[in-house]
Amino acid sequence: MKVIYFLMFFSFVLMSCQTEKNVSKYPSTVGDIEFDPKLDDADFKKCIPEKLVTLQYYQGNPGFNYRGEKLAIEEKLKKENIFSKKNITGYFTVRFIVNCDGKAGLFRGQHMDSDFKEKVLDQDLENKLLLFTKSLDGWVPKEMKGRVKIGYYQYLTYKIKNGKVSEVLP
Amino acid sequence: MEKFQRYYLSFLLLIVYTNTIAQVNCNAIEGEDCKKACELYNWASDRQGSRESQEAFDKAIGLCPTFSNAYMEKAVPYLKNGDFITWKLLIDKAVALDPKMHLGYRGWCRFQFLRDYTGTIHDLEEFKKYYPEDLGRSLNGDYNLEIIRALSYSALGEKDKAVHLIENLLASKNYFKGLFDHYQLGVTYFELGRYDKALENFEKQSKEFDFAENIYFKSKVSKIRNKDYLDLKRLALRTYDEGKIMKDVYTHHFNKVYRKQIEEL
Repeated sequence: MKVIYFLMFFSFVLMSCQTEKNVSKYPSTVGDIEFDPKLDDADFKKCIPEKLVTLQYYQGNPGFNYRGEKLAIEEKLKKENIFSKKNITGYFTVRFIVNCDGKAGLFRGQHMDSDFKEKVLDQDLENKLLLFTKSLDGWVPKEMKGRVKIGYYQYLTYKIKNGKVSEVLP
Repeated sequence: MEKFQRYYLSFLLLIVYTNTIAQVNCNAIEGEDCKKACELYNWASDRQGSRESQEAFDKAIGLCPTFSNAYMEKAVPYLKNGDFITWKLLIDKAVALDPKMHLGYRGWCRFQFLRDYTGTIHDLEEFKKYYPEDLGRSLNGDYNLEIIRALSYSALGEKDKAVHLIENLLASKNYFKGLFDHYQLGVTYFELGRYDKALENFEKQSKEFDFAENIYFKSKVSKIRNKDYLDLKRLALRTYDEGKIMKDVYTHHFNKVYRKQIEEL
């Protein structure tokens, strides 16, 4: 009996500890992406030390850090002729990390309609755009003091009009 | 002072201005809780995007649910990081609480980050009801919001309407020109095939603040007219390499031209 009382007391203490722990609903920085073994390539390495991957695309070296500028992405997309047979309109965004070697990983997608409400536009189109984003290999890491390479968060938003990508943002 | 320097100075002043407008004078806020909320807002605005900042905005909203700035500022990191669903939920709350203050900004963001031309026009036309004389500037200081309204019409194919709006604005009394006004008007004329008017505006732009994209279009007009365009093309490339291009920290400018497009002219 004593053992049962002890276990009850112990579990109560444990539960109290857990409820007192103040877990924030926010990540350290808005938009942080954590490695997920179900989604992410285990070979993709964030930069070491990890703290170096804290920049956002708009911090550090100015500009859009892709070889051939954004035009190169638009031209590649045009060549691949990705479109939906459905007459859909909205946006598909892929956020990811460019590491200090210029490799991209930890891709996360977000879909929404033209009123900015979450909505699957066309799963097939979204899969193709995600694969397309993963295939982009021209990302350039940012540099600190002209020597240290730094990774950063980047996103690409595909504006979709009548089933076709009408613009690539930002 | 040279015109180029004058334009850059005004641009810098606008950047300083837009970076300081996030701060609010809390002494002017009525009510103890709302004053506290305002102080939290000022503290959180300096730590944009961090967990502590977002939590402080939540506290501010809890203390003073009518304090629209807290919603607006809490939304900003989502906008910059591409989470437009969350951004829109928050900015809509700010607009609902104080449309006079936030409608113009939401319209600008819809244009700058999402190229949502219809939404931009909707917001700016609603905003115009509050400020019929002058819509004010875009947050980055580059444009008067009337130009953004015009460019949205241009993007939707209403080029004549865009020209009309920009010409009216440029002719209005005491108008303070934006960095790219003549360039954007020139490109719109160019798209209409009105090359005289296009060139006239590219020349005006060159005199005020020149950059590679503007020189590229001058070169393009020369090529269409079977005139020597190669010197201008070379100048456009050189100017591009010197970094005198249309720049935006977060996105790309409307009607931006890339180096490869200049090379291929």
